[in-house]
Parts: sequence; C-alpha cells; structure tokens
Amino acid sequence: MTLLSLRELGKVFADSTRALSNFSLDIEQNEFVSLVGPSGCGKSTVLRIGAGLETPSSGECVVDTNKVGFVFQDATLLPWRNVRDNIELLLELDNFEPVERERRVDETIQLVDLVDSVKKYPRQLSGGMRMRTSLARSLVTNPELFFFDEPFSALDEFTRERLNDELLDLFERRKFGALFVTHSIAEAVYMGSRVVVMSPRPGTITQIVSVPFPYPRRHDIRYTAQFAETCGLVSHALRQDRP
Amino acid sequence: MKPSTRDRVTGIVGPLVVFVAFIAAWYALAYGLDNNFSPASNKPLIIPPPHRLFEDLNGITRDKIITATGISIKTSLVGLLISIVLGLALGILMAQAKWLEKALWPYLIAMQVTPIIALVPLLIKIVGANFAARVIVTVIISLFPIVSNTLFGLRSVDRNLHDLFTLHHVGRIRRLIKLQLPAASPAIFTGFRISAGLAVIGAIVGDFFFSKGDPGLGKLITFFFLNNQSGPMFITSIIAALLGLTLFIIFGVIYKVAVGRWYEESAKF
Repeated sequence: MTLLSLRELGKVFADSTRALSNFSLDIEQNEFVSLVGPSGCGKSTVLRIGAGLETPSSGECVVDTNKVGFVFQDATLLPWRNVRDNIELLLELDNFEPVERERRVDETIQLVDLVDSVKKYPRQLSGGMRMRTSLARSLVTNPELFFFDEPFSALDEFTRERLNDELLDLFERRKFGALFVTHSIAEAVYMGSRVVVMSPRPGTITQIVSVPFPYPRRHDIRYTAQFAETCGLVSHALRQDRP
Repeated sequence: MKPSTRDRVTGIVGPLVVFVAFIAAWYALAYGLDNNFSPASNKPLIIPPPHRLFEDLNGITRDKIITATGISIKTSLVGLLISIVLGLALGILMAQAKWLEKALWPYLIAMQVTPIIALVPLLIKIVGANFAARVIVTVIISLFPIVSNTLFGLRSVDRNLHDLFTLHHVGRIRRLIKLQLPAASPAIFTGFRISAGLAVIGAIVGDFFFSKGDPGLGKLITFFFLNNQSGPMFITSIIAALLGLTLFIIFGVIYKVAVGRWYEESAKF
C-alpha cells in the first residue's frame, strides 16, 4: 500500500527562494527510505510538505493515512513535563480517553526501555535519552507513516548507532513507512532500503540507490565491503552536481 | 547544579563586605555633616548615625510608621494585582497577532517613559488625589515588565513544538494553555518579580503626589522630614526599602516554586 505519494513537487518560498523542483517519490507501507542531500537542498521541505506543515507551490502530495508521526532534529520535549507526561502529550492532544492513554503510554515505555526514567524531567536526561523519549512520544500514536528530520545528528556516534538499531527494531515490529532525512551517508545506507539522493537547491532527485541488505539488519554489516560500496555509490551521486 | 562551598562563601562574604562599607560610609557622612554626636544634646541631627537611629522613636511615631507601612503594602499589592491581571491579558492579546502588538506597543512605551509627575494634574482631575490615584501610579510603574515578559515568553516558543501542535490540529486556546503559557512561565514569573519591586516604588512615589486619605510611607517620610525628625524619617526610608526587597524575595520564591522544578536557569536569581 502506498502511504505517501509525492508527484512533481515544486516549492517556491515567499522570498522567492526555489527550494524544490520536480520532486517525485512514493513510500510504501513497511518501507524505510533515506533521504540525503547537500545542506539547504530542501530535504526538510519535503518532510514538511509530506506532513502537511507546508503546502507545495506545484505538484501534489497524497497521504493515505491519518496516522502520521514526525521526529525533529531536536528532541523538542516539553521541559515542564516529565518523561511519562511528554510521551502522553500527543494522545492528550488527540483526545484519547485517560484509560487508553495510560495503557498505550505504559506499552510504549516498555518498548523503548524508558521504565527507569518516567519521572525525570528533560533537563535531567542525556541527549540520547531525550531523543528516545521523543521517539516514544511519536510511537505512542501508532503512526503508519513516519517522518524523521535528522533525529540523531546531534548525538555521539555510539549513542547514534544504538538508536539506529532500536529504530530499526521498532520498524520491524510496527511495519510503518518511513522517510528518514540524514546528513550521514553511512546512516542513510544502514537504515534505508533505498537512499534518495538530492541535488543542491532547487532540490530534485538525482539518483536513488538501492541498499542490498535485507531486514533485520545487524550492526556488523557496516564493516562489509558491500556496505562500503553502497556508501560509495551514494557519495558519488552526491558529488555529481559539482563542477 | 549545586553551588560549591566556595560559591556559597563568596555569596555571603561579598554582600557582608559591602554592608560594612555602607555602615562605615553612613558614619562618615553622619559625623562629617554634624559633629554634634553627644546623646545629651537636644539639637536635631542632620543625619543620625546608625546607633542613634531609634532615639526619636516613641509610641506615636511608631504607630504612625506601622499604619503607614500597612497602607503602603495595601497600595502596592492592589496595584501589583491589577498589573498582573492587566499585564497578562495585554501580553496574551498582543501575542495573538502582530498587528495587535504593533497597535498597542507604542502606547505601552509611552506609558513607560512618561514621567509620573507629568500625569499628576491629570490624575487629580480625573480620580482625585486619593487611594485610587496612588494605585494608578503603581500600575503605571509596574505594568510594563509583565506585558513585555509575557509577550516575549509567548513568542519564544520553539517553532518545532508549534509544528507538533499543528500536526495534531490544536487550536489557538488549547495551544495557549498547553504550550505557550507553560513555556512562557519562567519569563512571566520573572516579570512578576521585577514588577513586585516596582509596585512598592509606585506606592511610595504616589504618596508624594496624592496626599488625600491615610498617609503611606512616602507621605510619612515627608512628614518626618518637615518635622525635623531625622531618626524616624530614616527608619521609614529603610522600611520602604525593606518592603520592596521583601516583595521581590516573595516573588522570587513563587518563581522557584512555579518553575524551579523543571526550568534550568532557576538557580540564577
């Protein structure tokens, strides 16, 4: 089932910056797509249009689900709420009954292993734990389509790799569709079944690299020749636009 | 982060050194202006040294000071309460739309920069030189920090958080209650604290211009001054200062209770 269908998207901002041009992409259920490109190429704009936070100037965006999750670059937790109450937030905003809220929050807290931190406030958490809470906050609504805007880019490499595995594990269980923006080539290859490479502004797709590793993936695929080769293809595609 | 022992020691020693210097300067000034420091002398003191401050304090002057303190507290608190309600309302209103902010801002600035004395005749004509006038002065002086801090706090909410609320179709009122007001609360409570100190200034300044009704501390200071009662005059001034300080501290505690649990900068006072 196609969850997201972007057709020839174009976006011109009010200050007449051309952010996107002729961008077309489909995302299926149970598909994890990575999106890479030079900074300012409109990656975030694609996500924002997909999530309905921006309207495209041309082309169309069809989303075939009303359960959409969005994870930002920063954890963007509410600092006055503890971990548990942060995870509950979106259920509250969506007007779920308290009993159902509690059930889902408990389940999610188990799932992302935050049991020991439920009473903590965001300022008491490490960057990794904050991001884990942020993930949990989105997961609790059971999204069918997930947008990730460089969620792990501010974390140290060790934490990032752990969260990569945790996210892939969640992907295996929940089978959502995901569009994952990152500026790390290795992360894009490790996470995605396809890596979509964008050109500099106005962003358009220059190449789509297929990743030859099936899920579930183990972290040691990072050290295979095939992994390096795939990264090489992505890197090469990113360089193509340069003179 | 907990303050280190060294931080705590400098936190006490610093103010103590300044206090000693202040008392020394007071003595120097008292004896520099007036060599007549014999307690037996009946000549009124120009500036009483600290240890002679209480000489003129009898039952009558003491009662006057207590009554005046009560009245000044009442004026400050009524004015502050009005400022808080009005300031929050204006701040919230201005945060709703840029055009509202632009429409109201010049008048707030005008109110902030107009010297109170320029408004005195107008206020006397409109409400009379009474309690109401003193409260109005208090409001004029203490309103601005609450409006500006509320507005600033409501406007500074993380854009991504707004996006998150937009994704879940949250309307204006709910967004204000669940997101903007809590996010702005450190700024808002800081505004309250600044205004609490200003409200005392307003109440006492108001006394100087609007003298009908029971005298507050400002009016009493003038009274003691005209009667050459330097000691009680000084005590009244000190009480006025302590009153401002007390309100400032109370609102500091309120701030800590309200946001200290989660807000990172709460250690800074």
